[in-house]
Amino acid sequence: MSRPPPPPPPPPPTTNKDQQRQNPSLQEINIKLIQSGEKERLKELLRERLLECGWIDEMKALCRAFTRKKGRNNVTVDDLVHVISPKGRASIPDSVKAKLLQRIRAFLASTAD
Amino acid sequence: MSSKINGHVSPQPCPHLLVFRSRNGPKPFRALQDCIRVKPPGGRAAIRREPTEVPRCGTCEESSRSRLYACVACAAVFCHAPLLHSHASDHSLSIPGHEIAVDVDRAELFCCACGDQVYDRDFDAAVVLAQTVNATATTSTSGSTAMQCSVAGSQPENLRKRRRVDYRPWEPDSGEHISRGNQSIPLLDAANASLVSSTQQPWGLRGLNNLGNTCFMNSILQALLHTPPLRNYFLGDRHNRYYCQQKNGAINGTKNSRLCLACDMDALFSAVFSGDRTPYSPAKFLYSWWQHAANLASYEQQDAHEFFISMLEGIHEKVEKDKRKFQSPAGSGDCCIAHRVFSGILRSDVMCMVCGFTSTTYDPCVDISLDLEPNQGGSGKSSSAKSLNSFNVEADCMRPNQNCGISTLKGCLERFTRAEKLGSDQKLFCQKCQVRQESLKQMSIRKLPLVSCFHVKRFEHSSIRKMSRKVDRYLQFPFSLDMAPYLSSSILRSRFGNRIFPFDGDEQDASNDLSTEFELFAVVTHSGRLDAGHYVTYLRLSNQWYKCDDAWITQVNESIVRAAQGYMMFYVQKVLYYKESENQGTS
Repeated sequence: MSRPPPPPPPPPPTTNKDQQRQNPSLQEINIKLIQSGEKERLKELLRERLLECGWIDEMKALCRAFTRKKGRNNVTVDDLVHVISPKGRASIPDSVKAKLLQRIRAFLASTAD
Repeated sequence: MSSKINGHVSPQPCPHLLVFRSRNGPKPFRALQDCIRVKPPGGRAAIRREPTEVPRCGTCEESSRSRLYACVACAAVFCHAPLLHSHASDHSLSIPGHEIAVDVDRAELFCCACGDQVYDRDFDAAVVLAQTVNATATTSTSGSTAMQCSVAGSQPENLRKRRRVDYRPWEPDSGEHISRGNQSIPLLDAANASLVSSTQQPWGLRGLNNLGNTCFMNSILQALLHTPPLRNYFLGDRHNRYYCQQKNGAINGTKNSRLCLACDMDALFSAVFSGDRTPYSPAKFLYSWWQHAANLASYEQQDAHEFFISMLEGIHEKVEKDKRKFQSPAGSGDCCIAHRVFSGILRSDVMCMVCGFTSTTYDPCVDISLDLEPNQGGSGKSSSAKSLNSFNVEADCMRPNQNCGISTLKGCLERFTRAEKLGSDQKLFCQKCQVRQESLKQMSIRKLPLVSCFHVKRFEHSSIRKMSRKVDRYLQFPFSLDMAPYLSSSILRSRFGNRIFPFDGDEQDASNDLSTEFELFAVVTHSGRLDAGHYVTYLRLSNQWYKCDDAWITQVNESIVRAAQGYMMFYVQKVLYYKESENQGTS
């Protein structure tokens, strides 16, 4: 018995204009967000919220503590990203996540064609 | 391989950056600079080959990854997530000379081999240029001239470099040798020690009698008497009143000594630090000040802040008249002790909302006046104002700010340094557009003074409505304050990201010489109404708080101070704030 053929690669999102209305892929959503400028607005909103709730200060403090421990000249950007990413992702307030999701959903609904 | 951006030291380039520069001519990032896109005017800088380009990793086609880097050598874009996979690193390893890349969303240079950010002066200057001048319609040449005038080029005179002097330990000269031998008395011998230790209060605590609604003066004087650099200046005999008046008498030829507020300060310091604890009447001082500020000479209640400003002016004026030689520019603090202690420099950036052109001005200031924001709707949050020691904060409100119902000094400072859209009735003239345009204004602190005085605008005078009122709203203030977030360098960084600025380098903020940490040492409070109120000063000495209510000085608990209605808060650079030893005065 022969094995079933491998699934075809996903079509490039920009060229397929009459793609069926299925759940859009992350790539497609991302491109829509970028092209409309909404991604930049969302980033600004996120920056504002994270600043207000002290998340950014927390991350800065983590970076400072790590840098102090390792020594200023022994730390790279990649090290810092590696160190703070888990804690950073975990400590985003739920309200911020909810707000952003709400915005993204509203955007997708408004641009659905 | 990174070093502090904030300091004089420019970050050292990594070996890969050095090699890249040496191989690619004098302007290795020239082509990259053409790809800098800024939208909207004054927004963040990004790197795009075409304005509408959606950057995508050349290896995995992903465009939603958070870190995408464009190789500076070949312009190919790759993702970089060192934990999962880094196609950027793969690329840099596969082709030598392709280690340097640029973050497409932040316009910051990165070395994929070192895994760290790197800096190039010319490139960073170009990014700042692009962010401050909208280069879409115009060519970059016309933009750059305008930019250089406002940022890179002319430095205001008041920012000349300070000359550093090598440290030498003190040696007494011949005159001092003699006086040391003959008449010096140890400060704390048996006879004197009893004077101090009897009350076990620190030096320099002495009540000031109210001479008729003069609490506004007494409160400020108490704060000044314990302003460390000012106290040291006068107690160190840097303005000797006998010598000064002798000199004046010689010049004027009259016996009546000319008005000199500094001499009166000197006399006051001598009286207050003499060890005598009975309340002192600063009548001579009041009289001198009346002569200086004739319009305020009355027994009516005055504003303490106004008095403070006029006092500093008085000290400055007298000294300025003495100096016939080189006039130091305002803000450098070299003119008189008042400015040496209190004068800082504020930076004001005004950006045209239409074209992005920014004009920057520097102004000296001796204090910062802060607005108390109007009471944001209570909505049940006012209860948090009751428990002042433990704040009930909401889950997504980790810092008490106006959303939580408590006003804080930090909140006021944040608002002070926030970018503010000036209303359409306040259009400012834009040099580039040559018309009045709506503008965005942002204040920041270019140079911190030795002593920061914050004045809370509690007295509102409305000339339109012909009425005045007092704002009683409580303001929370910290005992230790870090001014770093309000410095121009911090404000600029949040606007432009991590990079070297064109005016950086050797003429970096003088504030870098000293730290940004401050300690509270005096609080002037006001209680009562606008027309019938009372000023009281709280002083922090040896980490104890003392209430100075005209002639009465009492030790109080710090919680009293925290709960007080702050009108003026005095903070001194932490390095100048030494906690006196607890054992002084006892043998």
